[in-house]
Amino acid sequence: MLSTMISGAVYGMHSCLIQVEVDVSQGLPCFQIVGLPGSEVREARERVKVALKNVGVKLPPMCINVNLSPADLPKSGTMFDLPVAVGIMTALARLPKEAAENTLLIGELGLSGELKPVKGVLPIVREAARQGIRKCILPARNAWEGALVQEVESIGMEDMEGAISFLQGKGTRNQTASRCSSVDLNALIQQGGQGEDLDFADINGQEGLKRAAEVAAAGFHHLLIIGPPGSGKTMLARRLPTILPPLSLEESLEVSSIYSISGLLQSAASLKTTRPFLNPHHTITGRALAGGGRIPMPGLISLAHRGVLFLDELPEFKRETLDILRQPLEDKKVQIARSSGTYTYPADFMLVGAMNPCPCGFYPDMGRCRCTPYEVKRYLGRISGPILDRMDICVEAMPMEFQDITRHTAGESSGEIRKRVMAARERQKERFQGTTIQFNADMGAGEVERYCKLGPAAFCYMEKMFANMQLSARAYHRILKVARTIADLADSSEIEEIHLSEAVFYRRMDQKYW
Amino acid sequence: MTQEEKAYVHWLYQAVGMGGRGLLRSLETIGTPPELYQMALSGSLLEKVAKRYQNKIAHVMEMTAGYDVQGEYTRMTDRGIQLVTALEAEFPKRLKRIADPPYVLYYAGRLLPAEHKAVAVIGARDCTEYGRYMAGQFAAALAQAGVQVISGMARGIDGIAQQAALQAGGYSLGVLGCGVDICYPRENSKLYEALIQQGGICSEYPPGIGPRAILFPPRNRIISGMADAVLVIEAKEKSGTLITVDMALEQGREVYALPGRGTDPLSRGCNRLIRQGAGLVSTPGELLEELLLEYRDKEAGRQIALAFPDKEKQDILKIVDINPLSAESLQKKYEAEYGRYLSFPMLLHELLQLCAEGYVKQVGGGYFAKCLE
Repeated sequence: MLSTMISGAVYGMHSCLIQVEVDVSQGLPCFQIVGLPGSEVREARERVKVALKNVGVKLPPMCINVNLSPADLPKSGTMFDLPVAVGIMTALARLPKEAAENTLLIGELGLSGELKPVKGVLPIVREAARQGIRKCILPARNAWEGALVQEVESIGMEDMEGAISFLQGKGTRNQTASRCSSVDLNALIQQGGQGEDLDFADINGQEGLKRAAEVAAAGFHHLLIIGPPGSGKTMLARRLPTILPPLSLEESLEVSSIYSISGLLQSAASLKTTRPFLNPHHTITGRALAGGGRIPMPGLISLAHRGVLFLDELPEFKRETLDILRQPLEDKKVQIARSSGTYTYPADFMLVGAMNPCPCGFYPDMGRCRCTPYEVKRYLGRISGPILDRMDICVEAMPMEFQDITRHTAGESSGEIRKRVMAARERQKERFQGTTIQFNADMGAGEVERYCKLGPAAFCYMEKMFANMQLSARAYHRILKVARTIADLADSSEIEEIHLSEAVFYRRMDQKYW
Repeated sequence: MTQEEKAYVHWLYQAVGMGGRGLLRSLETIGTPPELYQMALSGSLLEKVAKRYQNKIAHVMEMTAGYDVQGEYTRMTDRGIQLVTALEAEFPKRLKRIADPPYVLYYAGRLLPAEHKAVAVIGARDCTEYGRYMAGQFAAALAQAGVQVISGMARGIDGIAQQAALQAGGYSLGVLGCGVDICYPRENSKLYEALIQQGGICSEYPPGIGPRAILFPPRNRIISGMADAVLVIEAKEKSGTLITVDMALEQGREVYALPGRGTDPLSRGCNRLIRQGAGLVSTPGELLEELLLEYRDKEAGRQIALAFPDKEKQDILKIVDINPLSAESLQKKYEAEYGRYLSFPMLLHELLQLCAEGYVKQVGGGYFAKCLE
């Protein structure tokens, strides 16, 4: 007898439904799985055999063939245990033929028959919903992930026994199966971040730095913070997500899918409702950053998708590691090619770098700086030019003075800043309607020409600046983009001189002083 | 001395190599360079020198075999590198009179005769904005008064002073601690080219000798030896610059120092020199006066140019210093000075307008300094 079950697999950000075809027929007793199974998939035979035995299902000495279709895609992961087991039982007519029809089955089996959680449930369920499947049976600990997808009824199972009795239509026994009521994602997003106690009001002084952060957040510009140790660079970066606009429903599912693939979604509480903030240690390898492995897993740049990737002590990162960021910064996604195929993960993040101005950290305070000009130059030279070029906003954190540290006048709260940021975002949305551009930072040279036109007075001013301050053509475009964001924050449709001034202030410094 | 003879001097210098002072002195007593060359070829040189030089002489003879004396020399002069020995009249007079003058000076560009007064302007490599500015001012004033500016072409004060002297249309001489065909430090390559065109580069080491730490202190004696006076712009308490000052004092040169604030580590060396008796000069005029030269004040007209129509900008310009101050501290200073609050974006706007006009410059990331040039 033949039976066909539906399961799924994840290939990069692209999920795919897999037909699990099981045939049980007379012949020499055997059990084989075909369709490019990885070793963990092949081992499903042993798990399924023992698990079925332990829940009281004895396999007859027959020839069992399992095909995972489409058969040309390599399969990995342990989510096929459940569909194989259910498929065998259906083929043996222990379960009614229509019991698992139009039902997505995902789950790893323990030897006792227990159903264990697997990675990547959310993107697979989303794909299933897209293809018209309305029911899924998942390990109980993954059930909430399925429930996030509103169109699908998600049923969580603790073990094989429960699954069998559910499929036999006997309903739940010992409450092993629980129907997950759909999770209200909107409410979760509303709550998101409320428990956190990070706020911009915690930062004393550093007006310039805070302002630069606001501009960066409004236009999604990459930000480079330079300053002596203990000046609040890290403190500020950690609070950046609190002024970025909250994630939309679609974005939240997108980000959560990446986390699901990486096996980082453990409970409804770990659902990504706030923008991710990642700060890898500088010893991180290129693969961990960009993603990698035999079956490539998303790297940190993908986990920071729609959020902030904070690289503290930027010059300490290996040059090769940083250079890996160049292409993703440009394309907003990362492509990883392996023998098993090419995987694409999204990587649209805001890069925030922090560094000391020189090895000792005190330059240009010549009273305290002990570095030679050569050392200072070399320190910055460790970061490749192309990476620095992508930093639209470059700002210096000033050393904190005693009054700054001890003063308790609360500054603006994140909420107030976020309001302004969101208003600026609205303006950008309007401007870029019908284009693929989302933020000012995404503008290319052509768009800058189109959207950042200067009035005659501003043009004159820019001309003077250009001549007197040795700006480069590259810097010119960056300045205009940032000036556009500053004008958006000021709710001005024209870029005026004062906006240009501030944007020029944020430009990257010429190598000369470094 | 004919070119042919100079070729032999060049040979001798290259063959003996670094640190062969004693050997050179004893060879001088044996014969002239051409004679020495013949002896080295025939092998008779070995018997004539003292025992302790035997090893070195063996090396000299090894090097002499197959050495094309005239060819090597022409190759060097073709590259624009000249050689002058201490026996010649063209050899810098002041340098000849020091305790241990070099036997030979290699140079590119030109050397000025002794009628031209010479001042060595020296200082720290990692200097402050103040040092940068003052070095430029002093060097330009000296150059305009027809004084040679001598220095080591190093990073920081040395290079800045020489650059300023050339820009003011004057003459400057760079004394290197390596062969004159090597530009060290490399970042001063533009200055190096300009010096060859408009001034001079000299060294006691033959071309091809790379920069090494031990070569630099002896080089300093040439810097001070070629000058009438030494001006120290900025120096830390323990600084290589002070080696040059010691040499200058041994050679009987006048030493002047630019005073600085007591809190400034880079002025501590200078202040100490003044305390020990160095001449205090705070303006180029004072230095030229000391050198008995006339000084035309170019600063007189500037105050008028600074008169801005905009009161706000004038106020801001008053609180901007030569030493770079951060935008935040300028904001605080403004509030303390005038009792008014100026918003950060407004202050930036005013400052950048001043930058655009060329009155202020942005240094580092968020720092601003007054621009006086």
